[in-house]
Amino acid sequence: MNEQGSFAALLPLIIFMAVMVAVSIYVRHKQAEKNFVGNYFIGNRSLGGFVLAMTTVATYSSVSSFVGGPGMAFQIGFGWIYMAVVQVTAIFLVLGIFGKRVALLARKLNAVTVVDIIRARFESNFLAAAAAFVIVLFFCGTMTAQFVGGAKLFSAVTGYSYETGLILFGLVVVIYTSIGGFRAVAITDTFCALIMMVGIVLLLHYVLAAGGGYEQIMTSIEANHPEMLEPFSAGNMPWTIYFTQWLLVGICTIALPQSVVRGISYKDTHGLHSAMLIGTVVVGFMNIGINFTGILAHGVLTGSPADYGGVDNIIPTTIVTVMPKELVGLAIIGPLAASISTISGLLIVASSAIIKDVYLHYKPNVESSRLRILSMATTAIIGGIVFVIALTPPSLIWLINMFAFGGLETAFFWTLLLGLFWKGANKLGALMSTIGGTIIYCATQAAGFKILNLHQITIGITISLVLFLIGSYFGKASEPKTLKIFFPQ
Amino acid sequence: MAKILPFKQDLTAAEKFSLVKREALYTGLALAGLIIFWLIAGFGLANVDVKIFHLPLWAVAGSIGVWFFAIFISFILSQKLFKDIDLGGEGDE
Repeated sequence: MNEQGSFAALLPLIIFMAVMVAVSIYVRHKQAEKNFVGNYFIGNRSLGGFVLAMTTVATYSSVSSFVGGPGMAFQIGFGWIYMAVVQVTAIFLVLGIFGKRVALLARKLNAVTVVDIIRARFESNFLAAAAAFVIVLFFCGTMTAQFVGGAKLFSAVTGYSYETGLILFGLVVVIYTSIGGFRAVAITDTFCALIMMVGIVLLLHYVLAAGGGYEQIMTSIEANHPEMLEPFSAGNMPWTIYFTQWLLVGICTIALPQSVVRGISYKDTHGLHSAMLIGTVVVGFMNIGINFTGILAHGVLTGSPADYGGVDNIIPTTIVTVMPKELVGLAIIGPLAASISTISGLLIVASSAIIKDVYLHYKPNVESSRLRILSMATTAIIGGIVFVIALTPPSLIWLINMFAFGGLETAFFWTLLLGLFWKGANKLGALMSTIGGTIIYCATQAAGFKILNLHQITIGITISLVLFLIGSYFGKASEPKTLKIFFPQ
Repeated sequence: MAKILPFKQDLTAAEKFSLVKREALYTGLALAGLIIFWLIAGFGLANVDVKIFHLPLWAVAGSIGVWFFAIFISFILSQKLFKDIDLGGEGDE
């Protein structure tokens, strides 16, 4: 390791992470001993509206929203913000479509995970196991991307090594998630979301100041980069990107298990309604704010992205260039908060997929003390595995992130949407859709096969629907007792 | 606009599920409305030669405009159309 950073740059992050661990220990201490699984994996269904909104937004907003995204905005211009703003749908859609239905069903079935509900709806342990496997597999990919993205940012801005960053924020997030479980994740996510917003405002302020003010920066962009003021950005933003982004980060995000599980975790519908509104305000502020900052970075960085080592280096370079040295450490907490909140949100759901959806299903009578140790150990082990993978970061990490996003959406979009709203949905349809759709999606990704140059999510989601409908047509209808639970008359 | 439903705690399970299905439908319609707004605000205004704060009209309407419209939609959905219900307890039938 080559350590050349200053301790001052490190201090804010150390304090921030210490607060996260303290919150986690406090939450663990305050949690009741009874119903450990419900407490650990969904916080005993006690989230209020504000925390529900913040944890959903924070888990959804990853480090790429704060690093890769604004870097692309720097390159593309306002077309990128026009595309990114479709994410304002993410919170009201998932909570509006699934929020109450999932909450009602979870209480009826005593369900703790999304897979619990899938198992009950389609009466299939095999489908439940496959769903749990898909969750763990794709979540590991996404978490690795978060670890790598966060540690690279840390290294670029502070001057400390990649490994130091990985240990400082990566290992700590695994520890506090393992200790505190879902409730700790929700509360720390709320801190993270607030810090992200503060970070955006702070960076925007210093970018404007360093660039000579808003008017000067915009006049320069008008004169030197007129294509940045066009929606298609002189061919850099084709319609295919707009179309696939509507699917990938807009409509299909309703089926992401890490978002749907929030529907099991809130206390009452008043909180859900508040969360829809608060979440939409926050996710829009973050998306527009950070991408707009990326564009305004032209007032500070006059070269092309390649001059700074690619789009991923635009925000780190901007931070180092415009922020006073004593605030650099503070400025990177925002993007790192995006990273750790996504990791913690995914980690707890991945852990629940193994413990609750697989282990407890086959061994239901486990002692509470043993279950506690197993749950915490599983969370720590998954986090540890991803941490080790991130120590030797694979290439094309951002593509892995988007690949995982599309895979989860292909696997769960129709199974959840049709399963929860269509009586005719059955086991064969869900099996074919989840397993077949995911395999075909992965195969097209591996082969690089595209139609009309659209992202493979379009193929995955279409094939997944076709398979679901074929399976539901030929398969055996769901049992009346199951339909009575899911569609009471 | 649909009629605002009164608050009721004593809905049957069937009534609750029917209500939730209707709310999901409202959300889907809201999405369709947002997509149309997004198309008009961005691509639809791309050739309009009007600038606000040094930005072309489409860039403002297609970003902040879409965000405000989404907030408006969320407000109508969550505060006007959606109804508070009792979610029940563990193992409720």
